[in-house]
Amino acid sequence: MGKTNKNKTEDLNTVPFKTRVRPYLIVAPSLIITIGIMIPFVMAIWFSLTNYSFKLPSHKFITLKNWVEVLSSDAFWNALKVTLLYGVIATVVEMALGMGVAILLNNLNNRLSRILRVLLVFPLMVAPVTATIVWQLMLNSSVGIVEKLLNVFGVYNFPWASSPSTALMTVVLIDVWVNTAFIILLVLAGLQSLPKSPFESAKIDGGSAWFNFINLTLPMLKPSLYIALLFRLMAALQEYAVIFALTKGGPGDSLMSLTLTAYQTGFRFQKFGFALPYILILWLVVNVSAKQIVKRQRAAQKQAAGLEE
Amino acid sequence: MNNGKKRFGYAAQNVLLIVYAVFALFPLIWMFIISLKSDAQVFTTTFVFTPTLANYREVLLRSDYTSYMVDSLIISGGSVLVSVLVGVPAAYALARYNFHRKEDLAFQILSFKFAPEILVVLPLFMIYQKLGLYDTYLGLIWVYQLISMPLLIWVVRGYFEDISVEIEYAAQVDGYTWYQIFFKMLVPLIKPGLVSAALLAFIFAWNSFTFPLILAGRNIQPITVAITKYLGTDTAHYGQLAVAATVSAVPAMVFALCIQKHLVRGLSFGAVKG
Amino acid sequence: MARIQLENVKKSFGRVQALNGVSIDVKDKEFFVLFGPAGAGKTTILNCIAGINLPEEGVIRFNEEIVNLVDPAHRNVAMVFENYALYPQMTVYDNMAAALRSNLYKTDEATIKEKVHAAARMMKMENLLERLPSQLSNGQKQRVAMGRALVRTPNVFLMDEPLAHLDAKLRNAMRTELKEMQANLGSTCIYVTHDFMEAMALGDRIAIINKGEIVQIGSGDEIYYMPCNEFVAQLMGDPQINIVPGKITEAGGAYVFSFEVHGQNITVSMPEDKELQAKIREAGLKAADMGLRPQNVKYSFEPEEGYFKTTVYSYESIGNKSVIQADCGEYQLRMIAPNGLKVQIDQEIYVRFEIDHSMFFDPQTKEYVSRYDEKSIKAFAMEQEVS
Repeated sequence: MGKTNKNKTEDLNTVPFKTRVRPYLIVAPSLIITIGIMIPFVMAIWFSLTNYSFKLPSHKFITLKNWVEVLSSDAFWNALKVTLLYGVIATVVEMALGMGVAILLNNLNNRLSRILRVLLVFPLMVAPVTATIVWQLMLNSSVGIVEKLLNVFGVYNFPWASSPSTALMTVVLIDVWVNTAFIILLVLAGLQSLPKSPFESAKIDGGSAWFNFINLTLPMLKPSLYIALLFRLMAALQEYAVIFALTKGGPGDSLMSLTLTAYQTGFRFQKFGFALPYILILWLVVNVSAKQIVKRQRAAQKQAAGLEE
Repeated sequence: MNNGKKRFGYAAQNVLLIVYAVFALFPLIWMFIISLKSDAQVFTTTFVFTPTLANYREVLLRSDYTSYMVDSLIISGGSVLVSVLVGVPAAYALARYNFHRKEDLAFQILSFKFAPEILVVLPLFMIYQKLGLYDTYLGLIWVYQLISMPLLIWVVRGYFEDISVEIEYAAQVDGYTWYQIFFKMLVPLIKPGLVSAALLAFIFAWNSFTFPLILAGRNIQPITVAITKYLGTDTAHYGQLAVAATVSAVPAMVFALCIQKHLVRGLSFGAVKG
Repeated sequence: MARIQLENVKKSFGRVQALNGVSIDVKDKEFFVLFGPAGAGKTTILNCIAGINLPEEGVIRFNEEIVNLVDPAHRNVAMVFENYALYPQMTVYDNMAAALRSNLYKTDEATIKEKVHAAARMMKMENLLERLPSQLSNGQKQRVAMGRALVRTPNVFLMDEPLAHLDAKLRNAMRTELKEMQANLGSTCIYVTHDFMEAMALGDRIAIINKGEIVQIGSGDEIYYMPCNEFVAQLMGDPQINIVPGKITEAGGAYVFSFEVHGQNITVSMPEDKELQAKIREAGLKAADMGLRPQNVKYSFEPEEGYFKTTVYSYESIGNKSVIQADCGEYQLRMIAPNGLKVQIDQEIYVRFEIDHSMFFDPQTKEYVSRYDEKSIKAFAMEQEVS
């Protein structure tokens, strides 16, 4: 009785194939795209170990030679420096500015803030390349409007992009102009979805606005902040459209980021084997920081959920 | 005393906001103004000038600009559409089903956004050549998934996670099929997140530079690549440049205005408690 | 309306075994209560019956037909969820009409209107029909959830703590209405609660569940007077039953029960009851746990014949009466007292057991052995069941 019975019930209780397979079917398309991208990835790593070039008919396996050459070149370390400076500074400024503006928009519930909520996203819609061209015009030392403004304060012929010392600043300025809107959107959304009850009980307990901000708002906002940080930092570390449009890496090599160097080495000079170590190092930096940030984000999300109970 | 402080704080906040607004919006306005200036007046006047539509005529009617815009629209719109069709079910699966290494998969999808485009582009270039996808809409739309899908999946997943699963059970018990539940009940609930993430996906796709630069050639030139043609030209038709810039931002602006109701609410990552 | 049977149903979620071989037979038109502590598996049982969860092992039958492979839509059950599960973007009216509008139950709008209004009237929420769930309080949401089920005529109503968030007055009113309605409609109803008074009031039969297993099934009286083990005895009854560990010794045909109070040995003679004594002999019970309900513990503040001394631990009011808790060293005793007494903590109090109302448990297995008047109580319970 035991054996036959079990067999019968086993048939009854196996989840129908259709239902069991559904989750996989649903995720499949996105996986196809995933796998579709893994292939180039792997290929890229292979190529970095060779001296592949469009000109040579075939490529030889040169293993680490490329890597050694790249890692010992000044150009590489300069590129790393530029990339990190650009990425970190731009992101930090955008986060700070974005948070500030989002808080202002959230606190003020007047007509101004409501209109600005939508309008302030507009800079994001101007592609970085286009924005660079526009800003170039504005900063132009003979006819630019900013120049005219600075003249009022007695500053003439500010070098902006033509001097190594101010080039980075210029690039960061343009990047900030375009991308702060993204942060504003995410932080504002986060602020508006905060539950009211912790604040109500804090009101009863007393405590200054600053205290509430540090101990209530910030922790609950952390998940959104981390997401914004994640997306922005990752993009900023790889950004090169602005640099490309502005000075193509100059003056000198003061703006040669990892990506830009790779592009030049790879596509203009056709030395792909040399270009790829730059990119792979960049990818390493990006991936490691991403994992760290995501880890913290999930933790912050759990903590914030606790606060909401 | 307190009231005075409050009013000052209020005024100060408004002022700060306006300062930033000027910073953010002035270049856009200025860009628009220049587009209305004739070449002669670009350098000679600042705010007082005689507006002209000559630039618009030149760019829109007599150059290839509109074809670039169309290319951009097809690629960006197409990739957002594909991302939505593919990503929303994926987001649902990631929210509801528990399978082994689910979080790893979710992170993997997210990490596509960080994959340096330039890393992927060379091998892709060769693969595309072999597959005949080079310089095609399909090829670009597929690659653009790297840009538009991750954020969309993450935002929409947060929304699905917020919908209590009992609602689906209740609908099942009420006699609705899974498809009816998904489309008639769940999709309306995720709409804010969906459209906001779609807008961002559209913007990111529209602004993309590397992929069309390398994976497309003569046939397909979206705005971002085409506009580089205007760089470093000796004859500076700044007015026309400004037209190109202004018009290139219009589609996204229209999209944003259409969904402005949902825009801010839509991007809260999973904390929409009723 | 249907007879619902579960045969040896097992369900686990990952490593957690939610149901470990559950077998239930709910008669047609019966009001069947599932009662147990949180996490016992009550909701899982409802989900398995509804078809939302598929068990790993075991069979579920509606009217003797196996329904394991039937999806929830086709099982024709109506369910009231613990967290309401209202459709957020629909009005209350549409929420309640949703089931009737689905493809399976296509009903015309006129009938829908009738049924929805009838249910709304019963739940006293006719004025809420145009509101959205986000505009309702918890209690109102719960009523809508109930109303949504009441418009249907399903095989069985599955209700998961549907009255938990209502205020006491409404809860009592609903209880009566519910029972009446169920009798009138002649519907089978499986009802989950962790309020034992509700279970006793509503259930034709009650199933006690703990840790994914059925502990006992019976009418309210059966379970109250003859709980199958100490766990059930303590679960049913407020204030909680008293369990006194002690020894039973026979001396020449007469039995005595001896127990300790603050280290002192007290012996009480046990009145005669042939069946009880036979059972005790059969079980070879030397040591036993005596179970005695608080209303069968008498007290006095003056020393009296047959009363033993102990001290007061606490005195609490529970509404229209109070509970005195006495500390006896290894265990505590609860007894009923009127309100408004002057009682102090650590005050001396004298207690007597009405042994002729007690029951006995095996101290090792904690299982029920027997009780006084078992036969007549059994007969009484049977009578209740039939009526």
